[in-house]
Amino acid sequence: MKRNLLIGATFIAVLTGLGIAQYLLEESALAQTKGAVMAPRFEVDPTFPKPLPNGWYQGQSIGLWVDAQDHVWIVHRPDVLDAAEGASSQNPPTGECCNVAPPILEFDQAGNLLRHWGGSDGPGYQWPSSNHGLNIDNKGNVWIGGNGTGTDGHILKFTQDGKFVMQVGIKKQGLGPDSLAQDRFYLVAKTFFYAPANEVFVADGYGNRRVAVIDADSGKMKRFWGAYGKPPDDKAGAAQGPYDPTATYQQFRGPVHCADVSVDGLVYVCDRTSDRLQIFKTDGTFVKEVYIARDSRGDGAVWDVAFSRDKEQKYLYVADGRNQKLRIFDRQSLEELTNFGKGGHYPGEWYSLHNIATDSKGNLYTVETYQGRRLQRFLYKGLAPVKAKQQGVVWPGTR
Amino acid sequence: MWRTVVGSGCSRTVLVVAAALPLLAPAVVSQGRAPKYEVQALWPRPFQEQSWVLGSITGVTIDGQNHIWVVHRGADSLENNEKGMMLTPPSSSICCKAAPFVLEFDQGGALLTSWGGPGSGYQWPQSPGGLAVDAKGSVWITAAGLEAAPARGRGPNDPTAAEQPAAAAGRRGAAPTGPPAPGDAHVIKFSRDGKFLLQIGTPGKMDGPDSQTTLNRPSAIAVDAAANEVFVADTGNRRIIVFDADTGKYKRHWFAYGEKAAGPAPGAYAASDPPAKSFRDVTCIEIARDGNVYVCDRSSNRVQVFQKNGTFVKEAVVSKNTLGATVTGQFGVVSSYGSAWDLAFSSDPQQRFLLIADGHNKKVHIFQRDTLTEVGTIGSGGRYPGQFLAVGSIATDAQGNVYTGEQHHGKRVQKFIAK
Repeated sequence: MKRNLLIGATFIAVLTGLGIAQYLLEESALAQTKGAVMAPRFEVDPTFPKPLPNGWYQGQSIGLWVDAQDHVWIVHRPDVLDAAEGASSQNPPTGECCNVAPPILEFDQAGNLLRHWGGSDGPGYQWPSSNHGLNIDNKGNVWIGGNGTGTDGHILKFTQDGKFVMQVGIKKQGLGPDSLAQDRFYLVAKTFFYAPANEVFVADGYGNRRVAVIDADSGKMKRFWGAYGKPPDDKAGAAQGPYDPTATYQQFRGPVHCADVSVDGLVYVCDRTSDRLQIFKTDGTFVKEVYIARDSRGDGAVWDVAFSRDKEQKYLYVADGRNQKLRIFDRQSLEELTNFGKGGHYPGEWYSLHNIATDSKGNLYTVETYQGRRLQRFLYKGLAPVKAKQQGVVWPGTR
Repeated sequence: MWRTVVGSGCSRTVLVVAAALPLLAPAVVSQGRAPKYEVQALWPRPFQEQSWVLGSITGVTIDGQNHIWVVHRGADSLENNEKGMMLTPPSSSICCKAAPFVLEFDQGGALLTSWGGPGSGYQWPQSPGGLAVDAKGSVWITAAGLEAAPARGRGPNDPTAAEQPAAAAGRRGAAPTGPPAPGDAHVIKFSRDGKFLLQIGTPGKMDGPDSQTTLNRPSAIAVDAAANEVFVADTGNRRIIVFDADTGKYKRHWFAYGEKAAGPAPGAYAASDPPAKSFRDVTCIEIARDGNVYVCDRSSNRVQVFQKNGTFVKEAVVSKNTLGATVTGQFGVVSSYGSAWDLAFSSDPQQRFLLIADGHNKKVHIFQRDTLTEVGTIGSGGRYPGQFLAVGSIATDAQGNVYTGEQHHGKRVQKFIAK
């Protein structure tokens, strides 16, 4: 009896010590027994990141990854600052703020800016006309794409210190789509390093209508495919016309905006303006597809994906930059369990949610393009019963 | 010469939040005995209506109940990607559309009332300007007009700047429906629940700077409860004009330095030139407890101080080297000129400090009111909590907390807690 009391007291002490997270797990376990639908729960962290030093101003933020040290890397477009935003960068300056920041920025978990580099050509490589997409491989190398219309047909690989390693493809004036090209891309949106095969999956992109796979060391093209795993056809793709929510498009409408591979070897491809995800085996065999907010026009609803950090990657996160929602799917059933966020410029809101990524603790990071231009962090709060399909802004402590 | 705004000292405190506690973040670079403020990052509360978004904020004020009133430009200032539900065909069924033009929040950031838009007996502004809530609880809104360059450049460096505003045709890419609306030239008084009470001035009717009955793109307003008078910053006429707050009857007007005659419109601002004899664009008016009237001459980088009868008292220069830029974006032309966009007084009994919203330099200047010297700043340029884009509105509540509103792509009202 005495011993049981002691155990009980210890249990309570441990519970208290662990605090909210433990409480949530308890709550979750309870709900599970009742058969409630469970999904990861997040809370926005408005303290992250810290303001940039040097009067630097963040531009359209169009690439994001978290490295093995849980450092958060982004790529943004410093050159989009208008004359009012970049007043101190004008010649002559018209005001006291703001200055142009380098395009590649690394933040630690406290939100401090660490390394920062990029933006110009160097020996052996050409910086993209328009920055787009960022990924980090298992050796820590930083890969970026580019979607400068008429020029960018390449991807670049650097060390984390910004030392050039490799360029795959070319950048030159007058470039156009060629979804059958073996030696270059066109307007790459994102790359994804897949360790088991030492391959890089290229979301190719804004100009081409394909997923391309290259060897991560040599850059050599290994294979590529279009929608439904068929050969891409630029002519047929261009002839598909304006978006019709009832049509089934045989070519990617594009931009092919993500191509991320899960632990079980499935490639999740964002066909952004078709409002769909297509899923393939790593050899390009089509598996299945899912439509998301299919009535979305304009920029489309499927911008980026990320996987939950449990071993099985049970949950799939989808960035919907048209409707400003972070959608949480059960990855096996492809059923949308819940979503959160709303349009706007406050913490937990987005204007054009462009990329998402997770860290080792399961926290989510988001970047916004157009006039959003922020990096935000959403803290992972464990699994919780789904109370609303559309949660809105996830403030701390509001549930 | 150009100071660099450094983020040091701007780190936001990381708190472990177990309840809905406000997250406070230091966001002030203080010098000497300037008051200190911390941004309340989680304010206001998100709209219950998830599809609502704010447009460019043109006015923020506090009423007698310590509630925060906001007016914004609505759909007109939203990019297509921000108003997908308002497009034809819609690009989204859930995101987003403009929130109502006028919003009232409580101290906790909860939305209490919202209204605004066209109605009978008055003409809703093409673009609202500032707003004020008087001692009787009535809400005054100015019709500040569109920044439709080049016919009417508010920017002093725009060589085509003219007296008369452009017609509304071609405004902001909106599909023209019928004849262009007459240009903004009025102020409107509503009850606090949005019922129309009074309009001064007539849209489209601008009889020049000596007119006693017409206005020209007025962009700010203040009410003197003691005398029951309403003071209007009559931007397009380069003057301050005073009316009876009940009848709208003309009382008096004056120009820069208290002059009784309208001088010529000044040319482009240059820091090396002597101070302009006329207002370039008067964009704020506030009345201190001691009876002094403070006026922002935005792109002249100065604040002029008057007695209520128009007698000139003194002036302060704010970031003298500030110039500006006219930018054409997806929602039309926006001008960003000068350092003195709006001001508010600190809430101590003596109102010892002036807080000056500087939209072009993206910060708030803290001036000592008696000496008119700068003693500190709040914020830096950017889109994170405590940072600013075109901060063009500012107000203080009874506790000394500061509220800011951002124009252009800023589109936020932020709250800073007095420490």
